[in-house]
Amino acid sequence: MAGSTIDHMIAVTILIAALLLTMGVYNQMFASAVEYEGNRKVAMKAVDIINTACICPGNPEDWGETNASLLGFGLQDPEAGGYALSPYSLMRLRSSSNDSQLVYYDITGLFYNNISADYGCGIYSPVDDCLNYTAAAKMLGINGTYGFSLDIVPTLDVNVSQVPNEDYLILKVEVRGPGIALADVTLNYYMFQIVSGKGTYPSITTQNGIVQTGPYGSALIEFPNITDLDTAYSFIVYASLSGLKGVGYYSHDTIEDDPPYIVPLIQDFENGTIAIAHTWDVHFFGTPVPNVFYNATFFVLSQGFQLHQVQIPNSTGEVNYGQPPQIIQVPASEAGVLLITYRGRGQFRSIVLPWGVGTLAVSISFGGDPTGYSFVATELRQVSVNDISYQMKVSTWSLGG
Amino acid sequence: MRTVEVLFVIIILLGALLMTIQFAVLPSPHQAFGTNLRELSQSTLETLDGKGILTETVFKDSNDLAWGDLQKALSASLPPNVVYNLSVYDISSSGGVINYNLAKSISDAGFGVDSEAASLLATSPNVTFTITPEKVGEKTGENNTLYILNCNDANGWWITGYTGQSLATDLYDLLSSYFTTTVLLNTTDQLGLLLENSTSLEGTIQNAVVMNPFGEAVPIPYNYTQNGPQWDEGYYIIDASHDTYSKYCYTLGVKTQQYNWTWVSIVGYPLYYVSNTETFTGPNDHNSYGIHGMIKVGPAGLNAFLRGLDNKSYDVWRLEGSDWVYGDGSIAREIGVVQFTSQALDKCNYYGIYPSPYQTASRALPQSIEGDYHLERWAPIFELKSGYSAAATYRHAGGATEGGALTAIGLTRIPDIRVSVLALLMYYRPAVYKSEFGASCTSRVVTLQLGQQGGT
Repeated sequence: MAGSTIDHMIAVTILIAALLLTMGVYNQMFASAVEYEGNRKVAMKAVDIINTACICPGNPEDWGETNASLLGFGLQDPEAGGYALSPYSLMRLRSSSNDSQLVYYDITGLFYNNISADYGCGIYSPVDDCLNYTAAAKMLGINGTYGFSLDIVPTLDVNVSQVPNEDYLILKVEVRGPGIALADVTLNYYMFQIVSGKGTYPSITTQNGIVQTGPYGSALIEFPNITDLDTAYSFIVYASLSGLKGVGYYSHDTIEDDPPYIVPLIQDFENGTIAIAHTWDVHFFGTPVPNVFYNATFFVLSQGFQLHQVQIPNSTGEVNYGQPPQIIQVPASEAGVLLITYRGRGQFRSIVLPWGVGTLAVSISFGGDPTGYSFVATELRQVSVNDISYQMKVSTWSLGG
Repeated sequence: MRTVEVLFVIIILLGALLMTIQFAVLPSPHQAFGTNLRELSQSTLETLDGKGILTETVFKDSNDLAWGDLQKALSASLPPNVVYNLSVYDISSSGGVINYNLAKSISDAGFGVDSEAASLLATSPNVTFTITPEKVGEKTGENNTLYILNCNDANGWWITGYTGQSLATDLYDLLSSYFTTTVLLNTTDQLGLLLENSTSLEGTIQNAVVMNPFGEAVPIPYNYTQNGPQWDEGYYIIDASHDTYSKYCYTLGVKTQQYNWTWVSIVGYPLYYVSNTETFTGPNDHNSYGIHGMIKVGPAGLNAFLRGLDNKSYDVWRLEGSDWVYGDGSIAREIGVVQFTSQALDKCNYYGIYPSPYQTASRALPQSIEGDYHLERWAPIFELKSGYSAAATYRHAGGATEGGALTAIGLTRIPDIRVSVLALLMYYRPAVYKSEFGASCTSRVVTLQLGQQGGT
């Protein structure tokens, strides 16, 4: 009798142990499957978001160019279609950097979103006119359920640098793809040298030309007529290789330690009005405060990467600290480059505002921060902005744990 | 004994577990979804072909340097961990069978176990596909001339955002290929020559089409104005304190019938104003909305035109209260949103003109005019609504005399001239001869196959 009981007890113990072991393994498998399904949903959502962003222009379609309220999110260029993004809609995305990056302009009492491509080149849009992350998430129907971020970066990296030379100016242009130097790239360049103009306002002289990169993906562009190596200039180069397009920008100031003396702040996207503000009104850098005489020139970017100068009203003027800004107006529906040359403290300088992010290959980051989430799905597409090749990456994660 | 039984049970359990593990191979949760290679491939092909450069390259000789540039561009476009194979196939047809022959292939590495592809149909840039329209009147020998009023001394109304001259240019671009002769009448004097059947004008006045792109206004030559030599064909004194230019509209109706014209009004209430900026320079010569150089005729303009078209007498003025009313008074009315007829939708595809099939009609004409003026309604663009037609061509085909037609587009502003063009093409129905698309060696399929390095 006792042997039978012991036999039962041993059997039950072994059985329970075996069941626990089996259930543990099954449980692990099920947990893995559930997590897989959850991650798959996130990945599908990433595809959904990137398709919405790339292939849908939003509602209204031309929301980037007007002051109309945005009802549906999308970044496609309604005129070009396909995988072309609107250069204007991208200007309206509030940068994903934190609020401390915002620029406050005391005279208008407005905060401005800062999308900077490089030193002396930036897009400052009124925050109230920009689309923020929460509003975009609501329009996509994922607010509180999924987080996302958009990164739109140029495919080609076009780097410009000044080559040390005692006699005349030489610039080196290097073109690289992801990890490779690109040979035989056609470079269409524009050199804007800042010179004395009529009266106190500076002027520009333009040189342009076409060269190709050599076997190591670089080209030297010589300017024998620019012998003063301290001269101020802005240089824009468009690179193209079999349907792949990129842009490089470089500027040289006679004073490089000071901040820019003026900052162009977009006032109205629909009218194309831009306020030329004194930098000291944005951030006080101490005395003495420079008075600034500017000369603004707008170049429309046309097919074949040709820059055509367009007359704009109020193209010259004076900007002083504490005074209302000068207002200029560019043709709102024409993508191009606003080049503002100015004289301050007796020196020439320049600042550039790309009207349409593609004209100077400005990168855009928009959305939340995926740091700390266990699974982040990413999707990648090739897109174009102003015919410049970009890669658009969408990262998506679940907020539901 | 129990222990042995339990051991059997455990063996069965473990067997089941092993079988489950063997067959239910679950991927790692982090491998839930790789990059969507098919769509990445599609977007790569489309962006590389942004300005037709990919299309241009794939038709080049296989030794051309452009292939090397394309390979570099592909390598620079795609992430380093993605390998590609781009293949170009010639499409040929033999005995009704479509064949795809590999013309060229470039790749950077072998694929793993998994890959995805997208394709693009490229058409040779050297091939031009032409559309040759039949000329209006070519079959009947009439060879109708198209006259477009482009009078620089007239203003338009109800054409907000445009000028009559800009619309005339657009009409010329859209319609001139369908007519043997297209003439822009650049001044009201030239319009006068047309009305007088002058031989100095290019083209044939008989059986012509006359398009008025000035909206609700119609240009009037000086000769037909109050002080002109033919004033009695344009100007009319109703009583001591009332005068009108509806007589000019009557004359237009008479000429339309006489020369068998098709008079086209592109938008709004036809013939509501007359305009001549050189002659109508008085302070009151405006339409009350800030447009000078024009005088209001009102609903009498259309009624008089229709009476002239039907060879009826002009003077049917009557006093209602203190107002003079001509004929039936205002006959057009607002009927709201109207939609294309199936015939119009069909012709949109045929002629490749695609205005919105839903429009708002604020000046639709009643069916009753068909009986009143011996008209037949042809080529209706919109479905009838409450007995009103928003746009159609009314052919005068009865009564004492026949001939002439009025195409009236009673839509609200801003005008879409494609509706007028469609109306005219539906009425005359010229054939369109399109070149055949299936020419050999003109199309190639480009496939871009992508795989993640090492497979998935």
